[in-house]
Amino acid sequence: MFHRVFSSEEVSAQNQVKASVQRKIRQSIADEYPGLEPVLEDLLPKKSPLIVAKCQNHLNLVLVNNVPLFFNIRDGPYMPTLRLLHQYPNIMKKLQVDRGAIRFVLAGANIMCPGLTSPGGVLDDEVGAETPVAIMAEGKQHALAIGFTKMSAKDIRTINKGIGIDNMHYLNDGLWKMERLD
Amino acid sequence: MAEKPQPFQVLYCGVCGLPAEYCEFGPDFEKCKPWLIQNAPDLYPDLVKEAGSKEADKVSDQLSSTSISDAGSSKPKEEVKRLPGGKIKKKEKPEIIIEKMTRNKRKCITTVKGLELFGVKLNDASKKLGKKFATGASVVKGPTEKEQIDVQGDIFYDIVDFITETWPDVPENAIYFIEDGKKVPAV
Ligand SMILES: [Zn+2]
Repeated sequence: MFHRVFSSEEVSAQNQVKASVQRKIRQSIADEYPGLEPVLEDLLPKKSPLIVAKCQNHLNLVLVNNVPLFFNIRDGPYMPTLRLLHQYPNIMKKLQVDRGAIRFVLAGANIMCPGLTSPGGVLDDEVGAETPVAIMAEGKQHALAIGFTKMSAKDIRTINKGIGIDNMHYLNDGLWKMERLD
Repeated sequence: MAEKPQPFQVLYCGVCGLPAEYCEFGPDFEKCKPWLIQNAPDLYPDLVKEAGSKEADKVSDQLSSTSISDAGSSKPKEEVKRLPGGKIKKKEKPEIIIEKMTRNKRKCITTVKGLELFGVKLNDASKKLGKKFATGASVVKGPTEKEQIDVQGDIFYDIVDFITETWPDVPENAIYFIEDGKKVPAV
């Protein structure tokens, strides 16, 4: 998603959104990531305005104090940025790729089923299709990408070919490099 | 109400910015190594071992060279100058400092200081840099009245190779980056 160098020039509009919309965004983030509930008020303080930056490819970034915290595509589910996920690693379900897949994921490739079903991979059978997930890696502690599943974990296991997870955001992509949007 | 979880602090590499454990897959692992040995030895035990054996080599080299020249005084010592008042001033070692500065939004400038200390003509160097990285480069007066080269764009990761290839007189270990206000060796 963020393969290309992603810069503020590509942000076509950056707006403080209406209070009702802000409320909706907060609510959908709270629903999607119940684990964040205790810190949600710190992350998205009601008194600091939520800014939504509209970018190319129907991508929206949610910023607080110029820091991108969440993103979504069109009306899709909000996903945390990797920097945020690193701080709260347990808010998302995790799937793990084997070590061999790491460099492909970091080059922006989508995640192929075999990288998840091999001995180095780990699947959480509770993960359904079209779910935001943290992509972990064999032998590593921290997530290297945020993905959106194309099939359920069970299907990934049984079908075992093709793309299992779309790579939405990965270490060193444009969004990673954009620590702030001023 | 659930207890408030503390944000987890990930160790990010001071060179490439990735979580330190991913440096081996990063843009330039070689450049991260010195930082990793200093700051994340547990993550890369092999690196530390490697560095350790290199150190040992150096020491044995030194030992053998001293035994040849017989006097222990041949060990290279940093020259000291006594300033009036008895203060000791270290002789300035020529070094090249590379710093990235972010100018409005995501545009940035990479500044290169100190090339002239290695007998490099700055005008010539600025032209070469501009050509190599297909960008604008110019010689400007820095804050300390010393001349420096400003190159538009982020050329942090390629510039060291370029400098050492273009001007072989410049030793790699004389090149430093300024990262978050800290000076770190480029290699
Ligand atoms: Zn690194």
